[in-house]
Amino acid sequence: MSQKLYKIISKVMKIDISTISDELGPETIENWTSFNGYVLLNELETGFNVKFTIDEAMDVKNILDIKRHLKNKGINLDE
Amino acid sequence: MPEENSLSDYINKSNEITKIFDRKIRIALVSSFTINGLSEIIKVKSAERNISSIVYESPYNQYSQEILNKQSNLYKFLPDLTFLILDTRNIFGEIFRFPYSISDLERTKIITNKINEIKNLLDKYVENSNSKIIITKLTIPSFSPNGIFESKIENSFHNMIEDFNKQITKIYLNSENIFVYDFDKFITKNGEDNVFNYSQFFFGDLKISMDYLPKFGQDLMKYVIAHLGLTKKCIVLDLDNTLWGGIVGEDGYNGIKLGPEPPGNAFMEFQRVLLSLHQRGIILAINSKNNFDDAMKVIKDHPYMILREEHFASMCINWNDKVSNIKQIIKEINIGSDSLVFIDDDPVNREFVKSVFPEILVINLSNDPSSYTYEIENLIDFSVLKITEEDKNRGKMYLQQKKIIELEKTSRDLQTFLSQLNLKIIIKNVDKFTLPRVSQLILKTNQFNLTTKRYQEIDIEKMIKDSNFIVICVQVEDKFGDNGITGVCIIEKENQKEWRIDTFLMSCRIMGRDIEKGIMTYIINTAKENNIQKINADFIPTQKNKPVENLLSDHDFVKNGKSWTYIIKSEIKVPEYLSVEVK
Repeated sequence: MSQKLYKIISKVMKIDISTISDELGPETIENWTSFNGYVLLNELETGFNVKFTIDEAMDVKNILDIKRHLKNKGINLDE
Repeated sequence: MPEENSLSDYINKSNEITKIFDRKIRIALVSSFTINGLSEIIKVKSAERNISSIVYESPYNQYSQEILNKQSNLYKFLPDLTFLILDTRNIFGEIFRFPYSISDLERTKIITNKINEIKNLLDKYVENSNSKIIITKLTIPSFSPNGIFESKIENSFHNMIEDFNKQITKIYLNSENIFVYDFDKFITKNGEDNVFNYSQFFFGDLKISMDYLPKFGQDLMKYVIAHLGLTKKCIVLDLDNTLWGGIVGEDGYNGIKLGPEPPGNAFMEFQRVLLSLHQRGIILAINSKNNFDDAMKVIKDHPYMILREEHFASMCINWNDKVSNIKQIIKEINIGSDSLVFIDDDPVNREFVKSVFPEILVINLSNDPSSYTYEIENLIDFSVLKITEEDKNRGKMYLQQKKIIELEKTSRDLQTFLSQLNLKIIIKNVDKFTLPRVSQLILKTNQFNLTTKRYQEIDIEKMIKDSNFIVICVQVEDKFGDNGITGVCIIEKENQKEWRIDTFLMSCRIMGRDIEKGIMTYIINTAKENNIQKINADFIPTQKNKPVENLLSDHDFVKNGKSWTYIIKSEIKVPEYLSVEVK
């Protein structure tokens, strides 16, 4: 599942999968604009068939936050 | 219908477009809400159709300022098409939530004011730009604080929005530059719950959700196709498992599936939708591997056939391969291969046709006949901004054409054939009634076209008003009926002694009947009457205009550097088998 997550991040943010790490966020990823942030959440929702609440969406500051919210929704990212 | 890509796919793909195509269009997107990503969608969808779209996105929610300020970037961009994408919340502000906090009278007043406001914007824009503008209708929300009682209220808020839409549509019904996009139908098709996503609305003022923005872009592409004249003209159809279920050669006349019960009703419905397209001017043709007599018995006699012999401009029912038959159809109908849509249930046939004619739109028909109708309904390739009289009568005209081909086969030689046709050419100055058809011909004609210059209606209108131009159209009649306006010629008066043929084109439908001789004679004799000494002309070769490569030399024009020149001496005579009337 983490592979799937990384694929979506890589596609939306246009970065190489190998460079993705938990602490990356809008400051460190050039394409992570506010709009692209919405696009990422939207494509994660479609990809994992989940829904982020407005609080969760507001809370996302880096990749780790995304992982945390996905885990809370029962997505196993260790598989 | 192919699966839509995600928004990020479009954003990525648009950055990868490197090719610049011959067909170019400048599109402005002017909106009252966030439409980020739409320009990328349009660029990608255009490139898929070999069109280079250059897109300008107006700053967020500044549509009024951009339109009212003649110095704005919107005007500087010089768009060909402008989409004014408005939403109900933005237009009505607080009233959107609290429509019943004010009186009926006040609500009605608001509507009148809003209509005037938008009308003022549209009129200003058209006055100051050469762009066509497409305004979206306002969507009617499903919610009302009155719930089901909303429909019992005379001047309800929902009625008000409907009124707004109706009035804007009515005002611009006959406008050549302003078009109304039915946003509500987009919602009907895709669903308010899908198109509008509260989360995305709160986050970024998106009023079309990211998942549905590509579908919206697909709808806007209809205007791009229509504006550029890339509309498909003819559907080539297989028979077995396409127009009916089963194989007539094996299952027999009584064994095929066609009738009011499923699955036969799916094929009947498919035929109905095809007939509806035929009635509005799309040509139908058959390309089928079958015994001619077996297939014709179904077409002529089967009680549940909707499409009959008279609906097909060409019928290739034989054992030839599909590509040979397509070549035959192209020849018979006299049509460019890029105007064709090919529908066949067999993927092998589809691949074969695609490999030889990449320009033909080959439909990947699913193996479920119940989806055939849907697939046709979802094609955006038949879009037009105008339906002319010629379009409506096209089916009839191709029937005349079939008769003409039969006459040609039985005639001794070309001269005898032409003299039996009773050809009459009517030459008229272009006016506002003939302008739409003339513009259509100028945008679409590829083969019999000397210069392939593309002019929009607005350009032609300017030439009509300019005394330095003569803009004429040609109507052709023969013993089988009226072919409508099928030729256009634009002459530029270069100086007191010389004219130049700027445009000379004819619909391929009337090629091979020496109509061009009649038109050329008219031009030369008119020039002589005006004391003109020379007529200049250019032949600009394209991949498609081979039929006119000898037009100038055949009419005694002499090559003069890159150009051609005709020195006027005496008046010339029209061939005996042509009668020319000037109106």
